[in-house]
Amino acid sequence: MVKNITIFTTTTCAYCPMVKKYLGAKGLAYEEVNLDENPQRQQEALALSGALTVPVTVVTKQDDTREVVVGFNLAKLAPAVA
Amino acid sequence: MAETTEIPTHDVIIVGAGPAALSAAIYTTREDIDTLLFERGVPGGLAAITDWVDNYPGFPDGVAGLELANNLQKQAERFGAVIELGEVTKLHDEGDWKRLETTSGDFKAKAVLIATGSDYKKIGVPGEKEYYARGVHYCATCDGAFYRDKRLVVVGGGNSAVQEAIFLTRFASHIDLLVRSTIKASDVLQHELQKYIDSGKITVHLGTTTDEIYGEAGAVTKVIGTQNGKKVEFETDGVFVFVGLDPNSGFVRDQLELDELGLIKADDDLMTNIKGVFIAGDIRHGATMQIASAAGEGATAALKIREFLEGHPHPIQN
Repeated sequence: MVKNITIFTTTTCAYCPMVKKYLGAKGLAYEEVNLDENPQRQQEALALSGALTVPVTVVTKQDDTREVVVGFNLAKLAPAVA
Repeated sequence: MAETTEIPTHDVIIVGAGPAALSAAIYTTREDIDTLLFERGVPGGLAAITDWVDNYPGFPDGVAGLELANNLQKQAERFGAVIELGEVTKLHDEGDWKRLETTSGDFKAKAVLIATGSDYKKIGVPGEKEYYARGVHYCATCDGAFYRDKRLVVVGGGNSAVQEAIFLTRFASHIDLLVRSTIKASDVLQHELQKYIDSGKITVHLGTTTDEIYGEAGAVTKVIGTQNGKKVEFETDGVFVFVGLDPNSGFVRDQLELDELGLIKADDDLMTNIKGVFIAGDIRHGATMQIASAAGEGATAALKIREFLEGHPHPIQN
């Protein structure tokens, strides 16, 4: 079970709205961190994903374990939020 | 119309959801032709990840690539097009029906339109794969924000390289543009580029090849190249690559007639060597690789598909 979801995005990223749309269609709430507006959190996104790219979706489960999905990757995102 | 089978069937399945595909879908769905699209990335294709589009007709001040892509998608869906997110992995010609193997299972259609477009090409140098997404990038609108006040190298000399280098100036402290021969971008873009050259924000290096992307401690630190026969080095924090396009035709490589670049050949009706399989957009041999052309071809392909499904050509109407 999902406890919370955080998506790191940028304003011009085309794949970021895809992730938000997918989660919205599933009725899942998420916190969005726009890195253009919050550049101080870029290192956090990099540390979580290992990549200088967005979207980075961090799914925290009820047992506090985390799954990180980089990009719009349905094959990984779907089971992570199931 | 539909076969009594467990495999979902449609009148037409469009592989891809970029400008050619969405334009075709607008036309087919307005004609009540049951249309399903498959897209493995983002609807809108490369247009969606292009910062700004100045040469698509109807937008006197230009339009953001993402906004154009979103509008194309909305228009197609308004008339009933359905976009399935997934990848088509194989095409089977079963006579009157074409069966597609996809990541969402098998689907059948009476006609197929392949509008898979292309992806950005890799340079193919040491370091490029190792530092992918950690210093080497192919999407400026996706990843540019990570390089605020950093140095960047952009590789390429065409419209994409110049356009995206200009986009990246909103983040980078300085950009070195490495051009293998001369700049091939449009006059308008070159004029725009000159402003950034004059301000010192972009330095253009003509006749410069990119030979290696070098890094230390997990981060890119420089690009090594050759200029006038001499080795040159460019200190950098990141590299954005725009050196051309690779057609997405791998899944039909063994069945359709391709040219030496991997682009698919078609007749005047945009039909391939398999009856009922059509193509449109950047995937087509002879395509001009423009969004406007792709949209036009998508519309043409849709009309040809309509004729094919109805079994006769339509008279030209004034």
